[in-house]
Amino acid sequence: MTQPAGHIWRLPPFLRTTAFRLTLLSAGLFALSSFVILALVYAATVGASMNRADTAIAAEIAQIEARYAAGGAAGANRYIVQRSVGGGEFLYLFLDADQRRLSGNISGLPAAPADAQGRLRFVYDRAPADGADGGAARNARGQIAALASGHRVFVGMDVEEEARFVSNTLNAVLFASALALGLGIISGAVVSRRFSRRLDAINAAARAIKAGRLETRAPRTHTGDDLDELSSNFNAMLDRVEHLMQRMRTAGDSIAHDLRLPLTRLRGRLEGALIDSDDAEAREAALQRAISDVDELLRTFNAVMSLARLQAGERRRAFETLDITALLGDVAELYEPVCEETGLEFACDCPDGLTLLGDRELIAQAVANILDNAVKYTPGGGAVVLRGRRTGAGALEISVTDTGPGIPMEYRARVLERFVRLEKSRSLPGVGLGLSLVQAIAEVHGASLTLDDGPGAVDGHGPGLRIALTFPPGED
Amino acid sequence: MRVLIVEDDREVARNIAKMLRECGHVADAAHDGEDGLALAREGAFDVLIVDRMMPRRDGLSMISALREEGDKTPVLILSALGEVDDRVEGLKAGGDDYLVKPYAPSELIARVDALARRRNPDAVKTRLEVGDLEMDLLARTVKRGGEAVLLQPREFRLLEFLMRNAGQVVTRTMLLEKVWDYHFDPQTNVIDVHISRLRAKIDKPFSTSMLHTVRGAGYRLQP
Repeated sequence: MTQPAGHIWRLPPFLRTTAFRLTLLSAGLFALSSFVILALVYAATVGASMNRADTAIAAEIAQIEARYAAGGAAGANRYIVQRSVGGGEFLYLFLDADQRRLSGNISGLPAAPADAQGRLRFVYDRAPADGADGGAARNARGQIAALASGHRVFVGMDVEEEARFVSNTLNAVLFASALALGLGIISGAVVSRRFSRRLDAINAAARAIKAGRLETRAPRTHTGDDLDELSSNFNAMLDRVEHLMQRMRTAGDSIAHDLRLPLTRLRGRLEGALIDSDDAEAREAALQRAISDVDELLRTFNAVMSLARLQAGERRRAFETLDITALLGDVAELYEPVCEETGLEFACDCPDGLTLLGDRELIAQAVANILDNAVKYTPGGGAVVLRGRRTGAGALEISVTDTGPGIPMEYRARVLERFVRLEKSRSLPGVGLGLSLVQAIAEVHGASLTLDDGPGAVDGHGPGLRIALTFPPGED
Repeated sequence: MRVLIVEDDREVARNIAKMLRECGHVADAAHDGEDGLALAREGAFDVLIVDRMMPRRDGLSMISALREEGDKTPVLILSALGEVDDRVEGLKAGGDDYLVKPYAPSELIARVDALARRRNPDAVKTRLEVGDLEMDLLARTVKRGGEAVLLQPREFRLLEFLMRNAGQVVTRTMLLEKVWDYHFDPQTNVIDVHISRLRAKIDKPFSTSMLHTVRGAGYRLQP
């Protein structure tokens, strides 16, 4: 298979493909195996018929020897004459001690050399009287046997039919092998040409993407074969990459957009502090405000970063079986005092033994963010309930219900977008990333996030909001 | 206290050194992993502050090398990589604490102080004492001026952490990490609320208050 590289590079591209080489290899193997099989068939049929001829000849010689033993040369001669005239399939020649022809249906011993047992293969001319094949040289086998007192007898048998069968078979075997090889090469070329054209198309797409044309996609035939699947996977991968790049870009834009305002404010504040530098108290107050501005900036920055990473799907590795009952209890413990402080009634309602496959830190963060929102937007005297349960369908649902103002139906989809804060909430602290982070965490866990009316809703409006994270069954 | 700062950004290193000196510490700096390792091997430092990504040798490999040599100097890792996996990796390499960039300087100082105190571990202690405040870790009881103070389990852990770091600034993030084991930013002032409840129990009934709020940084427990 190893050829000098100089020969290979001159081949047309489709002949250099793996497909072509594989086809060629399989054609070669097929030709070889058909040759071996036919050779076996040949040995079994042709070999057997030759053996049969030798056996028949030996039997005939035994007959002659028996007549010779019983009736001497005359007895053998009588038998040979009878058989010769009878027109059987045998050839006979009876010679006396001086090698003179006594009887038989051939004129002399064949010229071919005999082996140790006196067997020989020869070619003879059949008498023209025989008809169709008249005069033709025919293959035959024979045996010479010495009788007592120097007489010798030769018995031959025409094996032309067998010989023809042999050579026909041999020709067929060789022809079939050659044909298999030839067809293999042709079909290999055809297959690999088709194959290489499609691979070329995929390679061309890959090269185009490498060159920066990111919107390029590999062509699809929609036949569902493996190349089509390769293209489809390739394209899906590109879609994902493009999507991620898009998101990273959006993240960059969002960071720029969301940080510009506080940075400008911070700058103004510091400049003001410099101008008021005589008034130590005012300066200190300004610096304190500047520090809390920076803290807010850091918080925004960190939130944007974790959101971007979450959305880029970097965090599936840390999944483990979580005791959700304990986790909700923990977060509830963290938030209960906050609710009491702001005059909210708080309850955590979760049966024992709820488990889920997930990331503890992320789920805790999601629940904390939802609770943060609930606490922030629910006026004093209201109530917040954190609940964990298995739904009838076996899904695990974590929900937070509050009696705050709720979110009007038309805004519900929007609040999950990045940085969206409804106008009324602008005066409250926070960067508007809380729910988008919850949404991203839900996505990482294959969970869904739903916003619903709270307990005090009238006709789908008004007070209260219920946010539920539903983890599909089978996730724990 | 002697602190070694291993950080390739010279300005950041200078700022950290300046802040440490203002707090009365001695600070040295190295600007790549190899120099940092060579200096740290002299063993004269109480705390190392190590950046993760540095020329010549990264921070984690520098820490691993030190740990393999049996050096137990507390290490604070500084890094822009802030996911839980990154932290775990840092702590596995032998870091003792992990601070994500960008950070507030007060956070850094507070953590360095906390680490320095870990050199003389009082983890085996069964009693903590700060002024007239006593904590019995076995009986899980707290007394101030001989009077029993009843605390919830989480309040107990919160106070324990504050007492172990008595006299030092402890930030909200540190409390969230060490007492609750969370590494995210709650948007509301959850930690403040827990502190104020603790304060109501250990300070209010008494004439002097021990739990102080450090503006812009965190809290400090001192007699």
